[in-house]
Amino acid sequence: MFDRIDPRSPTPLYEQIAGRIRVAIAAGELEGGHHLSSVRQLASTLRVNPATVVQAYRELEREGFVELRHGAGTFVRGVSEQRKKSERVRGAAQLVRGLLAEAARLGVNGEDLRTALDHELGRKVP
Amino acid sequence: MFQVILSTQWKWARLPLLLATIAAFTIPVLSVQGAGGSQIQGAMAFRVLAAMENWAVWYPLLAAAIGLLLAVTAWGPDHRQGHSYALSLPLPRWQYAMLRLGAGFVLLAAPAVGIALGSVLASATATVPLGLTAYPAALAIRFTLAAILAFSIFFAIAGGSTRTAGYVLAAMAALLIGHRLLGGGAIDIDVVGPILERLYDFRGPLGIFGGRWMLIDV
Amino acid sequence: MSDAIKTQGMWYRAGPDFELHDVSMSVPTGSVYGFLGPNGAGKTTTIRLLLGLHRADRGDISLLDRDVPKDMPDILQRTAYVPETPHLYPSLTVAEAVRYHGAFYKAWDESWTDELFDRFSLPPNQRISKLSKGESGKLLMLLALAQRPELLVLDEPTEGLDPIVRRDILGTLLDYVSEQGATVLISSHLVHELERICDWVGLMDQGRLISEMPMQQFKNGIKRLRIIDPPGTYDNTPFEVLAREPVNGGVPGEMILVQGWSADMAGYFSGVGASLREVVDLDLEDGFVEMLRAYRAG
Repeated sequence: MFDRIDPRSPTPLYEQIAGRIRVAIAAGELEGGHHLSSVRQLASTLRVNPATVVQAYRELEREGFVELRHGAGTFVRGVSEQRKKSERVRGAAQLVRGLLAEAARLGVNGEDLRTALDHELGRKVP
Repeated sequence: MFQVILSTQWKWARLPLLLATIAAFTIPVLSVQGAGGSQIQGAMAFRVLAAMENWAVWYPLLAAAIGLLLAVTAWGPDHRQGHSYALSLPLPRWQYAMLRLGAGFVLLAAPAVGIALGSVLASATATVPLGLTAYPAALAIRFTLAAILAFSIFFAIAGGSTRTAGYVLAAMAALLIGHRLLGGGAIDIDVVGPILERLYDFRGPLGIFGGRWMLIDV
Repeated sequence: MSDAIKTQGMWYRAGPDFELHDVSMSVPTGSVYGFLGPNGAGKTTTIRLLLGLHRADRGDISLLDRDVPKDMPDILQRTAYVPETPHLYPSLTVAEAVRYHGAFYKAWDESWTDELFDRFSLPPNQRISKLSKGESGKLLMLLALAQRPELLVLDEPTEGLDPIVRRDILGTLLDYVSEQGATVLISSHLVHELERICDWVGLMDQGRLISEMPMQQFKNGIKRLRIIDPPGTYDNTPFEVLAREPVNGGVPGEMILVQGWSADMAGYFSGVGASLREVVDLDLEDGFVEMLRAYRAG
């Protein structure tokens, strides 16, 4: 899940970590009640500063995706289907925004982009 | 702490220490070989004393040598890396030096035991002519003290920076060589002689090295 | 104690051509502070001064609220050091070296040492002189951690090591830091490695500490901006302009390198008749290179 945490990306590390978890929850990969790795474990595995993991978990708690249970750890909260859907929609919008920015940089116009999108969506994913 | 310092110093000094212990045992034993023979007491005594005198020079040399070798092996590994490791340990420099000095003293027990056993064995098996006495204890103690003194002096020198230690040892060597040359030649200048005499005189600091090293004496 | 390490006006002449100038650095307690700089900048010399291996010509140095060099033995009990060049005795075996080292530290944890030994899979009866670079690096980290220090000072601990060994070493280090809340000062050439683990960064060049701030601030604050119709000079900017570079071809404009940028400053450009077209993020390595270039130029 975390194998492409990239410090070089403009997205802060804590946001990358939180983002991965958010996506997994929205896609139903992480169910309500799932016990997330401890701060210590995740920091060690990912080789990031523990404060970064703490920040990621706090961010997710603020958004209502997880709850920090004192002494027990961090647990995924049961999230409504509606919430999951709106999260997926939000994720899609973010992806598109990035795509459009990249297209602008490369000089690809909206028309060509739409054509390419339709073509690729029509293809079966191998 | 002392235990690990002792065990590292032992590891580094094992070989010279072993050789020195064997030598310390052997010299007195060898010195009483072939000192017998004649039945005439007077001649025999003469021969025994001559044998003792022949071997006498080896005791102070061995004591100085073991002192030097123990000092060099105590400081060698630290010198080789500019004392970086020793200085990064959580104890004051002087305390570290004292521990290494103490470890050296403990290690000197080996040649001390060697000479003690050797002298006792040698004097027990030798035929001591009338008028002469064997002094195994005195010899052993004197040797041990001389080794301790030599070790302490060389330890202090070697504990300084490599450059300082080098300078001091070079100066000492130059002094001794110079004294030899001047003494041997026709030149009548003897500056070093009186200085060395003072040092080696039984009242001087190196007095223990001078004088007679005789297992069997009058 | 707010700063685990604090120096004030530290000066040191290391040789005829090299001097540390007026180095005032602060490493906050509990932080992982990345010490960056090109070769020869003075990082190792600074570290050696912090640990009392050299004596500063001028200035105050304190570690863990104690005075360097006066309280050195006490500081060294609580501080672990991994040097750039390994300094263990080559003739000892790994097991002997660990036993030797452990005898000096009051907080030495025997069972933790055994655990680390297994984790790093070190050969106990191998001579130090025969260890591979990776094994040597792991042993030095083991010795540093087994001491249960409050502060770790690491001089290029993963230099020349393969990625798997680096992962082992840094993972174990971070594990300890999370558990104990220890402070770490780590110097390294591997900027991307530091980027992951550090929350503070200090930049050194030619004997001077040229920048010191939280990692986030450094990365967020330094940007490349694409400006159309730039003014002749940039006056009264809320940010700091480090460099300007004209853009070749296409729309006339330039790329400027700025520090201390935040998004709300975009309004400045319309005020001077220019327009901001693009904001480009810099990663730590680029930011570091640009910072150095700007510093050396002006």
